[in-house]
Amino acid sequence: MTSASAPLVSIRSLHKSYGPHIQVLKGLDIEMKPGERVVVIGPSGGGKSTLLRVMMGLEKIDSGSITFGGKPYISSANADAKTAINTDVRRSIGMVFQHYTLFPHLSVIQNLVLAPCKVRGEKKASATQRAQALLERFGLGGKANAFPAQLSGGQKQRVAIARALMLDPKLMLFDEVTSALDPELVAEVEQVILQLAEQNLPMMIVTHDMWFAKNIASRVIFCAGGVVVEDGPPEQVLGSPREERTRDFIDRVFHIKQ
Amino acid sequence: MSLDFSVLLRFQEALALGLWTTVKLTLICIVLGCSLGFLVGLSRTSPSAIVRGIASIYVEFFRGTPVLIQLFWIFFCLPLVLGVELSNLASGVIALTLYMGAITSETFRASLKSVGREQMDACIALGLPRRVQVTNVILPQAVLRAAPTLLSNCISLFKESALVSAVGMADLMFVGQNISNNTARPVEVLTIVALIYFAIAFPLTRAVTLVEGRILKKLAI
Ligand SMILES: Nc1ncnc2c1ncn2[C@@H]1O[C@H](COP(=O)(O)OP(=O)(O)O)[C@@H](O)[C@H]1O
Ligand SMILES: [Mg+2]
Repeated sequence: MTSASAPLVSIRSLHKSYGPHIQVLKGLDIEMKPGERVVVIGPSGGGKSTLLRVMMGLEKIDSGSITFGGKPYISSANADAKTAINTDVRRSIGMVFQHYTLFPHLSVIQNLVLAPCKVRGEKKASATQRAQALLERFGLGGKANAFPAQLSGGQKQRVAIARALMLDPKLMLFDEVTSALDPELVAEVEQVILQLAEQNLPMMIVTHDMWFAKNIASRVIFCAGGVVVEDGPPEQVLGSPREERTRDFIDRVFHIKQ
Repeated sequence: MSLDFSVLLRFQEALALGLWTTVKLTLICIVLGCSLGFLVGLSRTSPSAIVRGIASIYVEFFRGTPVLIQLFWIFFCLPLVLGVELSNLASGVIALTLYMGAITSETFRASLKSVGREQMDACIALGLPRRVQVTNVILPQAVLRAAPTLLSNCISLFKESALVSAVGMADLMFVGQNISNNTARPVEVLTIVALIYFAIAFPLTRAVTLVEGRILKKLAI
């Protein structure tokens, strides 16, 4: 499965509910090619976070399947069955959350080296060296020994991104990573993600930031009511959406009058 | 009759020995009691109703009865139940460990709860194995959050340990009572004994405030 057109991620008929009454994903199909940067937009409560959490292996699913790089990753036959997750595949996916979720009792550098040392058995010296280089690259060279509580929101989020990158992910998931930030701190985090985009790191991004969506996306998916409503290049979905529901949403959220 | 503290000079050594017994007993029971408390605290979040039930009966019983009665029970009844003689130290350690385990388990339970789901999500997203999640992420945060309350628990234990004198263990309190009986100077002796307890407990209570202020603020947890 190495040909250029083979999908990186293939989501088939994904169903997910919380309890018997809250059906969140109702048969989602998404295919993602290597090198694609997919921005997912949609109304609040529409299941965007749930989609990313499922892809990270944080949630059980009712039914459907996800393959990654051609390998089976997540599957479940029905709501009563166990959700099968291939944890080896999961290790090649990284995620950054809205609320940073750094380990508060560990310094910045310890946050970065914990997983490489404990998961991959990397030597501490080598992990520390890589971590320091990554921090320098993200403008955090002087913060290695600071604790998360001593950092600004923007710095915390850059640390969180660096922490995920320490494991050399083949796919990065970003769930509204600038939503909790003061407006003046948003750009520094988005710059870092744009840097990663230049290296063709595949990513799936949930964001409400129009400027960012336009600049980062190679493709935009509009998700509402638990299904994909519209899926296409950013110029189409953000610029001149075909579906009425997409248009309404874009008008409302992004204040763009067609 | 005037106060005369000089009588105590003769008993320096006895008091030091008593204090050493008290400190030894307290330290042993802090280590054993906190370990027990952590395990019981964890058990109270167990998915098994039986495990939860046993843990909470234990905790409620030891929190809801006077320590003095627990002590008497373990000194006098436990040897009959077990059919073995227990040394004074062993009985004291068992009794105070069970007491300490019960109160610290509540402390740990609250702090374990406060290590939220988001931290677990981060662990899974980083692929940390369960063992690493517990030892490197959950346990240290639970202990840090619990630290001020645990320190208070330890100070309570240090003071409560004076109760073992009632069953004949030669701790600081017991030695103090003995000296006071022999010298007929209870006011002086008990004042000095109280001051010794205070001299140790007071810096520790200050430490609680320090820990609360410094560490927790630094970590913002
Ligand atoms: N752990 C949960 N338990 C129950 N309901 C949940 C849970 N997480 C999310 N939901 C519900 O699922 C729906 C989709 O949520 P979410 O995926 O967070 O949407 P979005 O990220 O698009 O705003 C919402 O109605 C939300 O209330
Ligand atoms: Mg969300």
